[in-house]
Amino acid sequence: MLQIIKNEYRFLVRSRIFLGISIAFISILILTIFLGNYQTQKQEQTHKNAKDHVRQQWISIDEMNPHSAAHYGTYVFKPANLLSSLDEGVNSVTGNVLRVEGHVQNEITHSEASQMQAVSRFGKLKPSLLLQYIVPLLLIFLAFSSVSNEKQSGRLKLLVLQGAKPLQIILSKIISVWLYGMLLLIIVLAVYSILNFQSLTAEILTRTGLFFLSYTLYYFIISAITVFFSARWQNATLALTSMLGIWIIWTIFLPNILMSSAEKWHPLPSRNEFQSAMQEDRSKGLDGHNPSDERSLALKAKVLKEYGMDSLSQLPINFDGMRMQADEEYGNSVWDKHFGNNRKILREQKQSFQLGGIVNPFISLQNISMGFMASDNLHHQEFLLQVENYRRVFIKMLNDKQTYGGSKTGNWGWKEDNAFFKSVPDFDYKPTQISNVFSNYLLDLVLLLLWSILVIVLIIFGTKKIKIG
Amino acid sequence: MRSLNIFLYEWKHLVRSPFKIVALFLFILASVYGLHNGADLYKKQNTEIERLKEKAQEEKETILTYFDKGEKGPEKRPWVDVTKPFWSIYYTPTYHFKKPSPTIVYNIGQTEQYGFYKKINRYSSTYDADMAKEIANPERIQSGTLDFAFVVLFLMPLLLLVLLYNIKGQEAEQGFLPLIFVQTGSKNWWILSRTLFYTILLLAVLLALLLYGAALTKVFESDNAFLSIFLYISIYLIFWVVVYFLILKYGKNIISNTLQMIGVWLFFAFIIPAVIHQWISIEKPTNLMVDLIDIKRDKTDDIYEQSNIDTDKQIFNLYPSLKQTKIAQDTIAIKKVRNDSRVALINVAMKDGISKLEKDNRAKNELISKTYWLNPVTYFQNKLNHSSNTHYNDYQMYRNDIQAIIDKRIEIMILDIWNDVKVDKTKYIEYNKTFNK
Repeated sequence: MLQIIKNEYRFLVRSRIFLGISIAFISILILTIFLGNYQTQKQEQTHKNAKDHVRQQWISIDEMNPHSAAHYGTYVFKPANLLSSLDEGVNSVTGNVLRVEGHVQNEITHSEASQMQAVSRFGKLKPSLLLQYIVPLLLIFLAFSSVSNEKQSGRLKLLVLQGAKPLQIILSKIISVWLYGMLLLIIVLAVYSILNFQSLTAEILTRTGLFFLSYTLYYFIISAITVFFSARWQNATLALTSMLGIWIIWTIFLPNILMSSAEKWHPLPSRNEFQSAMQEDRSKGLDGHNPSDERSLALKAKVLKEYGMDSLSQLPINFDGMRMQADEEYGNSVWDKHFGNNRKILREQKQSFQLGGIVNPFISLQNISMGFMASDNLHHQEFLLQVENYRRVFIKMLNDKQTYGGSKTGNWGWKEDNAFFKSVPDFDYKPTQISNVFSNYLLDLVLLLLWSILVIVLIIFGTKKIKIG
Repeated sequence: MRSLNIFLYEWKHLVRSPFKIVALFLFILASVYGLHNGADLYKKQNTEIERLKEKAQEEKETILTYFDKGEKGPEKRPWVDVTKPFWSIYYTPTYHFKKPSPTIVYNIGQTEQYGFYKKINRYSSTYDADMAKEIANPERIQSGTLDFAFVVLFLMPLLLLVLLYNIKGQEAEQGFLPLIFVQTGSKNWWILSRTLFYTILLLAVLLALLLYGAALTKVFESDNAFLSIFLYISIYLIFWVVVYFLILKYGKNIISNTLQMIGVWLFFAFIIPAVIHQWISIEKPTNLMVDLIDIKRDKTDDIYEQSNIDTDKQIFNLYPSLKQTKIAQDTIAIKKVRNDSRVALINVAMKDGISKLEKDNRAKNELISKTYWLNPVTYFQNKLNHSSNTHYNDYQMYRNDIQAIIDKRIEIMILDIWNDVKVDKTKYIEYNKTFNK
């Protein structure tokens, strides 16, 4: 078997066309990684400038009423991710700017895609674009005639006469094509690692390792099916056209249709429905800015009772801050319900789409590629959750300051000094660890494995029916 | 052999090729699916617009009952007085919609990047959070909706490839190519006629699909949109026919022709647009809206903190007629109206910030347009986006209309509060009509 693989490579290396295409393609791959990295660095710089600017504004507040500061709020910018230079996922269509303020959980806005006219339907020139769409085609081109040519030239018969089993020959052909795909993959990851050597962490290495594993499985599936067709069909043209048909259906046709269908099966509310429902639920709670609100009056009575006082002016604390925080806490339960419902629907859509991997391994590959590169919707939602958690801590600090900072109820003119605002921590994004989200990608990985096993079974049983002569 | 004979032979060849028939069938199926996706979006957006119009009508009727009953406003908000222009305009539900063009059935374009309705209040701007896209799955948006334009731009070249890939190559491999040349007299004419057969076939299929799409929405109500879309699609088809014809003309066998055809398709559909997208992202990174943030917070604070003299000067500069009003001479009454008028100064500052941002976006678009000569797929995508009113520029026009309404609302509010206009039911209805034209 090893000898057949060696021979395959000898033949390939002798072909000038093959060498030329390989060198050109590897150069493009390297350039893509370099450009992806450069773009990420530029994005990181823009992000850092914006973040520093907004932080500087916050820590420069001389004096301000804490609740006014809650309205002044701050902004969080979606950070660039080093891994996204390999697969950008949803980053260009999600927003980048999120306003953090009192009373409301905002939605992220200002996506890259909304800032220009349409350019590319399949995204930027990232390694994932080449690895998902182009490399499988290269493997198909390499494999479609690998066995049929041997049949036509009579070499297959000769090999069998020399003692090689048809299964061994076919497996060797598959492995040699597959190894070529793996070589391209290794080049991508090696160049990526060299360029980002100083930033490599165990987390990044784990993620890239899983990325490598998923592509390896997919390339095996593609190589094996193509070689099998090459052995099964009488001519190479039929093998090529069949595989091109499969490639088109798998990569262009089905993902689009299945994703659109998943969104129809589990519909999200319209923005207006979503906002109206939240507004309605919100109106059932406490209005922090309205002291005569029924629920505010009830809270007032409760607090006065706790402190054993008759009027708000006797309280050692500022009741306004307490009312604002009660308003926030009610609001938080409303946001949790409605934003949580949207997240649930998105999860259901994703699960339905993942099941598409049963008929199309490309769907599984696409899911785990952006998932392992931390650029899928799940990671985006994790980011939004972190920002919301930060917002809650941020606003509570301001409301607590209003309540317990030394002012009295109704004293809206009271201001806190710069030291306090400096003490409010900035948003610190903690990248999601793969160990926390790995279970979400297990189905995709299992489906790729099952496809690989299915293909092996197909080859073992199908090879018996192959005509040698 | 005359063209008619070549066409007849080609027809026989087509019906005897299950692979080609299946490909054609799949293409038609995908097109119908895409057309229904477009029609669904058209209906969904129209339903949402109707729902919002009803909601606005309800809001309006609630206010009208205050006038009928002689009340000032909601019981729980005793500070509201709808007979004052400030509160009357505050309670005038003002929505602006980007009504979907019926041609959206063919091409969803950039629809899903933006909102299509906006509730306008006195602090509104054209870059508010509610101007962002509808709530949708970003992974679906990233992969794009399978609309008819996608089928035409990306799958049609592949269908053409399937239909044409073995022309000449098959005959060459079977060894009777010289015989055909002897019979037809001209190699080019023979290849061209066979290619032409599939071009006409595809044109007929596309026209039938376009007509089917027209039956799903009211496409013919849009001026010439149907014709322009058909024209662009036809030119696009001819572009690919020419490219493939050249490959077939100079190609030697089926495999080499197929590889070249798929290579060219990959180059135009994937590589070039992706390279340009990457280049634009490096050249002009995403704007994080820091300038707008500064205006929204610091500039707004500055406007509220600046001296009365400066504020009056700026307001009178904007609306010179206010100087002559009675309130302008009344040092007590002017305080309240001055404060309510600062919103006009904030609006001016926001517009300055927005114009810089839009200048940036225009520069990006110009860069993209400059690459059209080597990027035909993006060119045709944007042409189709124009035809279905789903291009960036169409949304820019929508934003401009919203800005005009914001300006109008602020202007009328300021003129009426400075002139101490008393609002009655008729005036309130007039506000509604003016802001919801």
